[in-house]
Amino acid sequence: MPYQAEISRDTPTCFLFIIDQSGSMDEKNEAGRTKAQFVSDVLNKTLYTLVTNCSKAEGIRNYFDIGILAYGGSDVKTGFGGKISSGIIHSIGAINDNPLRIEDRTKKVDDGAGGIIEQKTKFPIWFDPTSSGGTPMRAALTRAMEVIAGWCDSHRTSYPPTLLHVTDGQSTDGTPEDVANGLRQISTDDGPLLLFNLHVTAGSGHEVVFPTSESGLNDEYSRMLFRMSSALPGHLAKFAGDKGYAITDGSRGFIFNGDPKCIVDFFEIGTRPKMIAAR
Amino acid sequence: MTFAWRRPLTFTVPKSADQRNEDSFQWSSKGVLALSDGASISFDSATWSRILVRQFARCPEINKEWLSVAIREFSAIHDRENLPWAKQASFDRGSFASMLGVRCFGSRMQIVAIGDSLAVLGEGDRVQSTFPYTRSSEFDKSPQLLCTNPVENAFLDDLNGSDELYADWTMSCLDSPWLMCMTDALGQWLLASLEQGLSPVGALREIKTPRAFTHFVEEERASGRMKRDDTTLMISR
Repeated sequence: MPYQAEISRDTPTCFLFIIDQSGSMDEKNEAGRTKAQFVSDVLNKTLYTLVTNCSKAEGIRNYFDIGILAYGGSDVKTGFGGKISSGIIHSIGAINDNPLRIEDRTKKVDDGAGGIIEQKTKFPIWFDPTSSGGTPMRAALTRAMEVIAGWCDSHRTSYPPTLLHVTDGQSTDGTPEDVANGLRQISTDDGPLLLFNLHVTAGSGHEVVFPTSESGLNDEYSRMLFRMSSALPGHLAKFAGDKGYAITDGSRGFIFNGDPKCIVDFFEIGTRPKMIAAR
Repeated sequence: MTFAWRRPLTFTVPKSADQRNEDSFQWSSKGVLALSDGASISFDSATWSRILVRQFARCPEINKEWLSVAIREFSAIHDRENLPWAKQASFDRGSFASMLGVRCFGSRMQIVAIGDSLAVLGEGDRVQSTFPYTRSSEFDKSPQLLCTNPVENAFLDDLNGSDELYADWTMSCLDSPWLMCMTDALGQWLLASLEQGLSPVGALREIKTPRAFTHFVEEERASGRMKRDDTTLMISR
């Protein structure tokens, strides 16, 4: 059975975020925030959660390797800055050590005696929003294939990598479908990698979440992203079902035109390793 | 028959040799026994599980105040404001642990179980009762655990007054009863063995030394019959 490997420091898994930074990502939503800003907020929160999950009193446990590939204009490059701007994939320990900056925030918490108090908290930022130029999606997925093939070669017994791809537009450097098909053939001994796609379009069409077929999708581009997406493995399907989504056998890791909650859930479900689900 | 309370035999094996064992156990001469399994994916579950069992041995009555005292003790150990951001975030999210407590009163015992540590009552090689689970598949679900973050303990309010957390066992019809408490990997192994028609109790009752327990656990792990996790057994006869 695939997707059963234990995630441990000896056998970490990998998350690769592939983020569209093309010009159209500067379109604003009803709250006045651009799609790029919203996606970067969710990505920073996701990284925060992943690091927190690995953080013990005695230090960080390297359960995960993490990468960000950002693409826009004619560039495909790492989404990390500072000391981790060289190379694509880094251990969670290196991610912990190298945010771009740490912001002070406050949050309201239960005081344990029936009241609510404000508490100061530190929030790291790794990824800033930018948006310009075309959408070199084919080049981005080709780069992802190179990076992930190397990672799988050196982690044969690990739970396979999960790739979360966020885009709002049509590829401007050729169709990416054949590259995505090739990408999904890459595997570890525990199964093929998982490629999940989030289509954050401002165009028409109602929300489609974790569908089993492309019949409810209005345009060819969304249908292609659906075909590019892996089916949710059992533990992620269960987690998505527990969150209230209608999941059936064969539901794919694909969301079209999702509301902000859907986008947050897409990241949370996609990065939910079995070890956390089982606690 | 009245349960002749004696110091239990206790054995524990970590998940792997290079990792801190996050199981804790405690007993008192007043017939109280406590076992807690700290969850790996949390900030300092080893300390949290240790606090829980010590407090149960001192005061075997779990309620809101009991839990608040334990949380305050945990919070006093860590200087939250001066923790690096990731440790602070992990501290805030909470540390999680199961809690299995037993109180013996003559021929009766009361069990309280939060989470997936298992109490087993039997005689000879026969299992009489298990709590809180009776089927091995129940270990596959995500258990509710006690947490240092009070928000995560809200499920206890929903269970207030419910019998779900408690079991009362009587030993009056058993000639020479024994009690075992075990953390989840061993509990699942035991229930799965029973479901397969095997008789796993004999193997556990034969264990008399830590070395023998380690050998037994390593063999079962290697065969794939037991999950690799911190594994603890308490046997009281």
